[in-house]
Amino acid sequence: MNGWIGRCLRVNLTEGKHRIEEIHPQILNKFLGGRGHGVKIFSDEVSPQTDPLSPDNKLIFVSGPLVGTGAITGASCNVVTKSSLTGALACAKMRGHFGAELKFAGFDMIIVEGKAEGPVILSIRDDKIKIDPALEYWGRSTSETEALYKRNMGDPWAARETFLAGIGPAGEQLLPLANIVNDRFLSVGGAGIGAVMGSKNLKAIAVKGQHSLHVADGSRFVQVINTMINKLNSASLTSQSMSQWGTAFLVGLCHQKGILPQNNFRLGTLSLKNIGTEALNSAFALRSRSCFACPVGCIKKTDVKHPAYEGRGMVPTYLAIGALGVNCGVNDLAAIGMANMICAEMGLDPVAAGGMLATAMELIERKTVTPEELKIDLRFGNSDAMLEALRMISTKKGHAKRLGQGGKALAESAERPDLFMGVKGLSLAPFDPRAIQGLGLHFATCNYGPHHLYGNTFIDELLNVHEKLDPWDAEGKPLLVKRFQDTTAVMDSLGLCSWPLMGLKFNNYIPMTNSCLGTEYKADDLMAIGERIWNLERTFNLRAGLTSNDDTLPERFVTEPIADGPGQGQVSRVNEMRPEYYHLRGWNENGEPLPETLSALGLEEHN
Amino acid sequence: MARIRIDHAKCTGCRHCETACSLNHVPNTVNPRRARIRVMRDGTRYYPVIAGPFVDAACTSKLFIETGDHAYDQCALCRASCPEKPYFIEAETGIPLKCDFCGIPPAPSCVRWCNSGALELVEE
Ligand code: SF4
Ligand code: SF4
Repeated sequence: MNGWIGRCLRVNLTEGKHRIEEIHPQILNKFLGGRGHGVKIFSDEVSPQTDPLSPDNKLIFVSGPLVGTGAITGASCNVVTKSSLTGALACAKMRGHFGAELKFAGFDMIIVEGKAEGPVILSIRDDKIKIDPALEYWGRSTSETEALYKRNMGDPWAARETFLAGIGPAGEQLLPLANIVNDRFLSVGGAGIGAVMGSKNLKAIAVKGQHSLHVADGSRFVQVINTMINKLNSASLTSQSMSQWGTAFLVGLCHQKGILPQNNFRLGTLSLKNIGTEALNSAFALRSRSCFACPVGCIKKTDVKHPAYEGRGMVPTYLAIGALGVNCGVNDLAAIGMANMICAEMGLDPVAAGGMLATAMELIERKTVTPEELKIDLRFGNSDAMLEALRMISTKKGHAKRLGQGGKALAESAERPDLFMGVKGLSLAPFDPRAIQGLGLHFATCNYGPHHLYGNTFIDELLNVHEKLDPWDAEGKPLLVKRFQDTTAVMDSLGLCSWPLMGLKFNNYIPMTNSCLGTEYKADDLMAIGERIWNLERTFNLRAGLTSNDDTLPERFVTEPIADGPGQGQVSRVNEMRPEYYHLRGWNENGEPLPETLSALGLEEHN
Repeated sequence: MARIRIDHAKCTGCRHCETACSLNHVPNTVNPRRARIRVMRDGTRYYPVIAGPFVDAACTSKLFIETGDHAYDQCALCRASCPEKPYFIEAETGIPLKCDFCGIPPAPSCVRWCNSGALELVEE
């Protein structure tokens, strides 16, 4: 096969056995691979009623067909499971090099089932597959685990080529905020997945392989990629903004439009002096780092000898600056970077953890909860308390336990569920949905909770890359949201990153896909696959008990206009946009796909 | 004579150069372990290394190079395809690999796909 390998590794941890299975080409034609393929297998094999932390839940690691081939940004490995935080499907996007290495090891997919008796590590090394005891790694941070594992391999050259994906102490403690970390890259949208992995006693998966991948038409593939690199280089957002500062360049833009939330989504005024790109330049010596085969390089590492960084720092991204910084009232870049690093070391999801902190801070500010009760002075802007809380929740000792259950549980236990700014149990990514209407609708309706990377409409709403739209306007947004959601489903399934859409059109990807896979897809064919995947995910969530009531934003965004700053006076019009969105999707007024919608997409059996 | 200038401070570790090289030498095939350039990693730094001569025995001495505040393991930077470091022994065939500059005149595929400026073709 071209692109795809066609092999799947099924590991049963209860029995300690594994077997290699062939993947049916038909399923790949229908769902592409990656996220689509993972969701299809998951919904076929796991009942929507499964308790996420029970051995019946499964954990699927799946790389898309373009991953590892050299296709631009073909690096993503998706992790599909039922989340312990949301009770819905979860699909984390792991960037970095793990996905490509999985392909070189000869697999498109790993399915992990059951539960090991004690801590284990799954290792795949040049066709030798082993489930090894991992007691000595349990309790260690992600980077310690990686370093120790590589040392134990006893062959430094092989160790250099081995990539790990695993959990930190947060996942071991089954915290619903726990994420999965690979090669020190935090994965995107993985809240709750770390706990599922922890419940299986699986500390990490290590891969190293040396198989070849095949592409259908190599010379055309190379030509197409040359053109794409040129295109990326001529677009200033990808060649300058992203390459220079990573997503942190969005901080200033979002702030100008009132999108950057502050103090649990209440204010919009703040000086950018301390957190803008200039501050970033002066605080850190930025070094770019790329995921596999990515010409953009938006990840920023630093070598600065800052006492807090100890030479291994990750420069904060937009997500970190928003969720762990401004939305908690913190505007000290060093503290934000530190918080981000603690998340990566402990295996916490920065968005979910930041949202939890902001909720706690507002509860304290309103005196619903006293600092004494939490035994920590979590006031807005108190970065020391924030860092302490992040370190502590992974130990799950005493009062920290309450924080570790996440923002929603915390707000409910204080009888102020309205102060939790999230959807489906997951905290909002740091974009104020009142000031960016389309993204707000996406946050409400996204199958994976309110995360922009499953439908980043701000590429058009804010950055005006393909269309010039006004973020405050609701007109035409339902269609935009649907388009971005479907596009992202396709890109996740191919194994691509969606950030380069800042410099490329979706159509630019078609020749690359076809020359690599030997297919003849047109844009519409791929969009139909995206729609199929979105609907399949939707039907799973509905069967798991979600309803259209889960497609709303917290009251604050609909009833309280933004109090000050550039976005002053804006409210979210999500409830007006939602019926049109349902209609465009071919769903009834309860948000359930109509039988004819499902059959047109070839999903009859999921009706 | 043309040379490839390697600026490891610019390298992002994307390994696009490895995929380019293997696609150029083995038709329709991608495999970093069949590439004549490999990217070594040391903490947050990356060193692209281009395959040089084949040697049948490893060095008996081990060296570090110190420049300023950095110490480099010379084995990591070494270009030899050597039994100690199985990086430039082609996977699946076992043949030792050596960079051929992608033909005459040199048209290095790795440089073309390196977007960070870490690899550059310079005329002297
Ligand atoms: S010049 Fe050609 S052969 Fe040499 S490393 Fe670069 S791509 Fe490979
Ligand atoms: S393509 Fe350039 S930036 Fe990427 S790994 Fe190779 S040398 Fe480094």
